Amino acid sequence: MKKTAPKSSAGKPEYSLEQNALDQFATAHYKEATDLYKDLLKRSDNPFYRQQLAQCYLQRALAMSTKSMPKEAVVLWENYAEWAKPPLAAIDSYIVWLLASKNPKKAYARLEQLTAQQLDENFLELATWLGFLLLSGHQEIAGHLPQDSALIRHFGLAQEALKAYQNHNLTGMDDALKQLPFRSAFRDLRSLLKTQLTDAVSMEQTQTLLSKIPQHSPYRPVADALLAYTQDGLAFVETALKLDHNQRRIIAQAKGLSNLQTELLDNLSSHKDRQTDKLRFNLAIQYQALFGTAAAQSFCQATLADYPAGRKDYLKNFAQNDIFENNRIQALLCEQNRNGYDAIFFWRQCIKILSAKSPEHNQKIALILRHMSAIVPSDEAIELIIESLDYDAKNRNSYLKILVFYDQEQPDTAEYERWLALGMQHFPKDIELLARAAKSASDKKAFKKAATYAQELLNIDPVNSLAKQLLFNSHLAHTRKLIKTKKFHLVDKEIHSAEQIMVDKNLRRLTDLLRGFSVWANENPKQGLQLIGDALQKLNDDPINIQFQAILEAALLNAPLASITKSLPPIKNHLLSTAQLARLINLIKQYNEQISESQILFDALEKIKAPLKKSLQKQDYSEDLLLDWCRVLETIGHFELLKHTAKLAQAKWQKPIWLYFLVYAENLGNPTQLGIKTLFKLEDAIEEAREEHDHKTVMLISRFINSHYQNPFDFDDEYHDDKDEELNIFNELFGHLPDSVAQRIAQKIQTMTKKNSPEQFVSNSIQKYHHRVDQKKLIKLFNNPEFLSAIAFFSVADDLQIDVGVSFEDIIDRFENNSPQLSFPFF
Amino acid sequence: MTSPYQILGVSEQSADAEIKLAYLQKVKDYPPDHDQQRFQQIQQAYEAIKDNDSRLQTALFNLPTVEFNDLFNLAFKQQSRLQPISADNFLKLLKAVPIEKSLLTAFLPTGS
Repeated sequence: MKKTAPKSSAGKPEYSLEQNALDQFATAHYKEATDLYKDLLKRSDNPFYRQQLAQCYLQRALAMSTKSMPKEAVVLWENYAEWAKPPLAAIDSYIVWLLASKNPKKAYARLEQLTAQQLDENFLELATWLGFLLLSGHQEIAGHLPQDSALIRHFGLAQEALKAYQNHNLTGMDDALKQLPFRSAFRDLRSLLKTQLTDAVSMEQTQTLLSKIPQHSPYRPVADALLAYTQDGLAFVETALKLDHNQRRIIAQAKGLSNLQTELLDNLSSHKDRQTDKLRFNLAIQYQALFGTAAAQSFCQATLADYPAGRKDYLKNFAQNDIFENNRIQALLCEQNRNGYDAIFFWRQCIKILSAKSPEHNQKIALILRHMSAIVPSDEAIELIIESLDYDAKNRNSYLKILVFYDQEQPDTAEYERWLALGMQHFPKDIELLARAAKSASDKKAFKKAATYAQELLNIDPVNSLAKQLLFNSHLAHTRKLIKTKKFHLVDKEIHSAEQIMVDKNLRRLTDLLRGFSVWANENPKQGLQLIGDALQKLNDDPINIQFQAILEAALLNAPLASITKSLPPIKNHLLSTAQLARLINLIKQYNEQISESQILFDALEKIKAPLKKSLQKQDYSEDLLLDWCRVLETIGHFELLKHTAKLAQAKWQKPIWLYFLVYAENLGNPTQLGIKTLFKLEDAIEEAREEHDHKTVMLISRFINSHYQNPFDFDDEYHDDKDEELNIFNELFGHLPDSVAQRIAQKIQTMTKKNSPEQFVSNSIQKYHHRVDQKKLIKLFNNPEFLSAIAFFSVADDLQIDVGVSFEDIIDRFENNSPQLSFPFF
Repeated sequence: MTSPYQILGVSEQSADAEIKLAYLQKVKDYPPDHDQQRFQQIQQAYEAIKDNDSRLQTALFNLPTVEFNDLFNLAFKQQSRLQPISADNFLKLLKAVPIEKSLLTAFLPTGS
């Protein structure tokens, strides 16, 4: 802050000058106040001005002393003494400043003016300092002190104590010390010497005694030195670094420190205010003989993360003969510096070295590969995990990671199934693998297999809800089969078995419904209808869901629909509430898990489509509920309703997810035909979702767009790539088809692969064609993925009633005998 | 820098069962409600060496870290019990106090 006092006050009235001086004095602007009072005194010799001026000088002198400027303090105090009336203040300070500024003559002159009483009673702190100076070799001071003072007497006792100490006469020392009164100027010396009275130094005792010496005592530096003497390790270093160089040397010598240790202390002392990573790194290397190589190496390793430039020195100093160890450390150092690329290189070197001693080090190799998988992108990671299983096939977590990858990150049913089977081979009783196996079998509609896994799972984990539900579904499926095949006498037993499973109450009511159908089909249609109606009412609280479930169950049992639904409440004007739409979503999910033909679900939805669409338009459903609804429609591939909902939602919320559902539905779930504009829109949607941290949507759209570039059956490539002989076979067989026809078939194949795994398709095909060709031959041919593609193409074309001009036998011949195609109906 | 083996007081050749026993004993000696930090250290040490896989992982992927200050505990470790400082050294210390510097920094006026 800029000080405002005027340099010259000529011409200003005295009153205003005096007020200004008072203001400056009151605000501790003593320099400015000094000038003003000097000016005022030139005008009139006012005693108040003199007193104020003296005070200004005194305050400035004290301020100088706190800034370690004793010479300036001396001059200002002398100015003070010139203007002040006796008794003068701070004479003790003045004497100390004189001594500090190496002006002993003046100091001694002042000391000679002091009486014994003044020194012993008024200036005890000065006396303490003078006593310390007497002991530290400045005995000439004694001649300038009042000889009748306590200070001189006590100095004799202090000398006596030190002499006894020098003569190893601790009792004599103690006796001399005891004679020093509490208020002696040598009080702190007594505390110091008492620490030496014990036979062996105790850290706690010493610290207690030394802590009694005040921070401003002249004996404090000695106390610190003695404390350092008793300490070791870090505590010693911290205290030693506070000491003066000479004191530190004395302590180092007293403790018997080596030259290297003393040098390290000096080194630390000269850099104590600026210890950079580089300095510490270099000190660790320079003094590794003191720290131990292992500790110095560990410290340097850790420091390399912040001081990578030290790498060369590190390797120079700590490189080992063990090549493996060198590579291992290099790899870990690279990881520390987030340099995954080089880390992988060094780990590969490690593996190479270990492989030479395989299988002894297989476990290590597997662990390294798994470790590497954590520092690479997920698709590379999975390759490393798979590689690790070559060295250690019994690693449950690796199987689970692979399964999660092929299930969620990069869905691939065939790979998923393959790894699930391998995992099950090694861990047949593992709960998570069993659950996955059960779920997978259920997804493939292999209910018997699913039930077996579920039962196995329940044996291990009796409360596993997935297993219970799968088992329950299995019993229901079997019950339906029994009703359809009119084995009514077995129905009750099956239903009873289902009812024994503790599943959701609402789900258990399905058994009442099936019981009703059984009665209706077997004994008493009227009573059966009543039972069916009652069960449906209990299961659902609205006509739409009642109708929907009735249609589904009737279809599953091959029961005549009309006779069942005529007794049910009408659905035309009903609007689904939020809870009822949620119920419908659950029903679709529940039946989709049990039904192999999605057409049944589509037919049922067709029957309730009108009130459903009306509900979607008129009801104010939450966004979350509609998202759930769309997800289920996406799963079953009902594009009409999906499009209808997504359009409504997109208009309302305009979020990336709705754009995705709309595009997905408009393109019938097929990304191959996406136009460039739509692709751009989807790219923008990804960015928008990313900004909103909607990672699920980012993943969903990205996967869809990626599929646009990677047709799962690679038809485009197969048509155009002449390099691959196998692809040429496909081209030979189907290359004559117009693009529009081929694309239609490809689209249908894509839908089919969503519902059925390749294994399922192969199994169905073998069943379908085994009478036309030897089953063993067929199985062998299906090992060729190109054959599988060709049969899929042929089979779907057959379903679509498209004549591709190639027979099943032609395909077999082509793959078996390499014989050319015959007819080309489109040309 | 203390290794998991040192923390649990077992040798590097110890079997799983021996390590587990040592771990349980340590947990008994230092329950979490007494010294949470020590307990965590014991817990981490056990996780690091509890079975062959863990031991291999610790050996392969662990870079023991040492703080700069830890180095001083190694460099200035007191090897033998200290005796009181000698009178000569005591007097040397008294005389080594830099007088002018001390007068400046240590003595602050109180009578003003």
